[in-house]
Amino acid sequence: MAEPYLVVEHLTKVYERGHVVALKDVSFEVQKGEFLVIIGLSGSGKSTLLRCINRLIEPTKGRIFIDGVEITKLSPRQMRKFRRKIGMIFQHFNLIKRATVMTNVLTGRLGYNPTWMTLLGIFPRSDRELALKNLERVGLLEKAYVRADELSGGQQQRVGIARALMQEPELLLADEPVSALDPATSHSVMQYIEQMNREDGVTVLASLHFLSLARRYGTRIIALKDGELVFDGAPEEIDDRKFKEIYGEEAEEVEIR
Amino acid sequence: MARIWPTKLDRDRLRRRFVALLLDWMSWGYVAYGVMYFLNDYWWRIPLERFYTTLTLPPWGWPAAVLGTLAMAVICQVSGYSLGERALKLEIREERPLTKEELLMGRAAGKPFWKTQWGVMAVFLLALTVALGWHIVKIDPEALIHPSPRAREMLSEIFPPDFRHFRVPDPAFELRGLPYSILDLMVLTIFMALLATVLGAAVALPLSFLGARNIMGFSPAGWLVYGIVRGFFNIFRSIETMLWAVVFALWIRWGSPLAGIMALTIHTIAALGKLYSEQVEGIDPGPVEAVVAAGGNRIEVVRYAVLPQVIPSFWAFTLYRWDINVRMSTVIALVGGGGIGDMLFYYKNEGKWALLGAVVITIVAVVWAMDYLSGRLRERIT
Repeated sequence: MAEPYLVVEHLTKVYERGHVVALKDVSFEVQKGEFLVIIGLSGSGKSTLLRCINRLIEPTKGRIFIDGVEITKLSPRQMRKFRRKIGMIFQHFNLIKRATVMTNVLTGRLGYNPTWMTLLGIFPRSDRELALKNLERVGLLEKAYVRADELSGGQQQRVGIARALMQEPELLLADEPVSALDPATSHSVMQYIEQMNREDGVTVLASLHFLSLARRYGTRIIALKDGELVFDGAPEEIDDRKFKEIYGEEAEEVEIR
Repeated sequence: MARIWPTKLDRDRLRRRFVALLLDWMSWGYVAYGVMYFLNDYWWRIPLERFYTTLTLPPWGWPAAVLGTLAMAVICQVSGYSLGERALKLEIREERPLTKEELLMGRAAGKPFWKTQWGVMAVFLLALTVALGWHIVKIDPEALIHPSPRAREMLSEIFPPDFRHFRVPDPAFELRGLPYSILDLMVLTIFMALLATVLGAAVALPLSFLGARNIMGFSPAGWLVYGIVRGFFNIFRSIETMLWAVVFALWIRWGSPLAGIMALTIHTIAALGKLYSEQVEGIDPGPVEAVVAAGGNRIEVVRYAVLPQVIPSFWAFTLYRWDINVRMSTVIALVGGGGIGDMLFYYKNEGKWALLGAVVITIVAVVWAMDYLSGRLRERIT
C-alpha cells in the first residue's frame, strides 16, 4: 500500500478557557483520493479536527503529516504557504457578503500573489481567467459581478467551492458544507464536491450531519463522540448498533434524499 | 481533623458579604449626609459654602453618625433587606415550583421591582439625590421665568437681525489687520471642520486596526500595541476639544484657525479610532477564517475580510463626526481656535445684538444644513 497522504497522530486539543477537551488522542490515516466523511453529534469535535488539519486552530498535542510534511512543525510563514494546497469550505459559506462573486472567488488566490498586488486589488490575467472558468464549472458564470449576499444559500456555497478550486488544492476540508441548505440543494453542492474528488483527484475530508449523505458520498467514514474516534470503516459497516453507539440510544436515523 | 479555614467558596462568600456590608454602610452614610445637609440648610441656617468643609456637629456627632449608619447597615444585612446583598446577588431565593396561575400571569419573577424593599430603597435614594442636587446647584425657577433687563434689551434689538455684513466685510471687526464678512468666516469654519474630519479619519483608520483585539492576536507584542493604541484613544478622547484648542492656541498663536483644526483633528482621531476599532472587533469572523485558510496574511485579512465589512459603518461614523466638528468649529474661537466664533464673541462683547443675530442665524442655517446632509448621506450608505 502506498504512503498515506494524510496522517493524524495522537491529536489532542484542549481549549484553555473552560478546560474543554475537544479532541482526545485522535489518530487516523487517509489515502490520496479518498472521500472521507466525519460524522458525529454537534460538539463532538468535527470542526476542531478539520481546523487542526490546516492549523486554523493550533493543536495542543499530536502530529499531523500531509504528503510527508509534518505541518505541525511549520513556522507561521511556511504554514501560510502550505495552506495554498488545502482548500476549505464552510458551513456558513464565509463569503465577503458586500463584495462581488468575482472578488470572493479571487480571494482563493491570495496565497499565490504578492501582498502589494493583492492590497491594490490587482490579480494576474491568468487568475481572472481561472476564476471565470471555475465559476462556469459551478454554473454561476453570469453571476460573476453580482454581490455575494444577493445569491441564494446554494449559490453562495457554490461560490465557496469555486473559491476553493482557485487554490488548485490537493486536499479539501469541508466543514458541514450542506447543513445550512435544503435537501435538494444539498445534493447539488455535494455533487460538485464529489466531482472535485473524482475528476481532479482531490482528497476530501468532509463533516456531515446526515448519515444518508455520508453513505451516499463517502468512500470511508470516521465517527467522533465527545472528541474520541469511535468508528473508522466503510460506510456499509454502520448498522443500527453502531449508529446508536455514535449518536446515543435515543437517536433515530433520518433520511435525506 | 476539623477544618479551620473556610473552603474557597465560603471565603468568596464571606468576601462578598463584607463588600455588601460596605455598600450598605455607604448608602446609609449618604442618607445621613443628605438629611444633615437639609437640617443645616433650613434649621441651623449655616451658609452653604461652609458646609462642604466643616460639618457643624457636636463633638459626639461624628462618631454617632459613623456608628449609627454602621448599625443601620448591619440591621439591613441581618434582616435580609439590603441593597448591597441584592447588588452582589447574595440573597437566597426560595426555590419552589411555580403555580400555573403565576406562569400564566407572568408573576413568576415575584413582586414588581418598586414594591420590593430594595426598590423602595433605590427610589428613596434617587429622590434624595435629586433633592440634594436641586439645593446644591441652587436652582431658581423664578430667574428662568423673569429675564434680566439686559436680556430684554438684547432680545428687542436682535430682531430684526442685521445682515449688512453678510458679504461686505465689517471694517470695525478685524483679524490680524484684515476685515472679515460673515460669509468669509463661515467658509473658513466649514473648511476647518472638513479638514479636521478628513485628517482625523485618515489617521484613525490605520490606527483602529492596531486597537482591535481580533486583529492584533494574543501574542505579547500584540497586547502591547493594542494597549498603547487603546490607551492613546482613551486619554486623548477624554480631553475635550476645547482644552486641546487652548493648548494649540498657546502653542501656535491665539486665534489661529490652525490651532482649531489641530484641536478638532486630535479629538477626532481619538473618538473615531475608538468607534472604528469597536466596529472591527464586532465583525463576522467567518470571512477572516476563509482568507486565512486560503493562505492570506494579516494585511490581506484586513483588506479582504475586515474592510468590506466595516466600511459602511466607518462612513457613517465619519459623517457623524463631521457633523460634530462643524458644530464645534463655530465656537472653538472662544478658546483661541479661530473661525466664525471670533466674530460671534466680538459682537457679543460689543453689544451689537442685531449683527450678532445675523451671525447666529447663519450658524444655525449652516449647522442645520450640514446635519441634514450628513443624515441623508448616512441613510444612503447603511
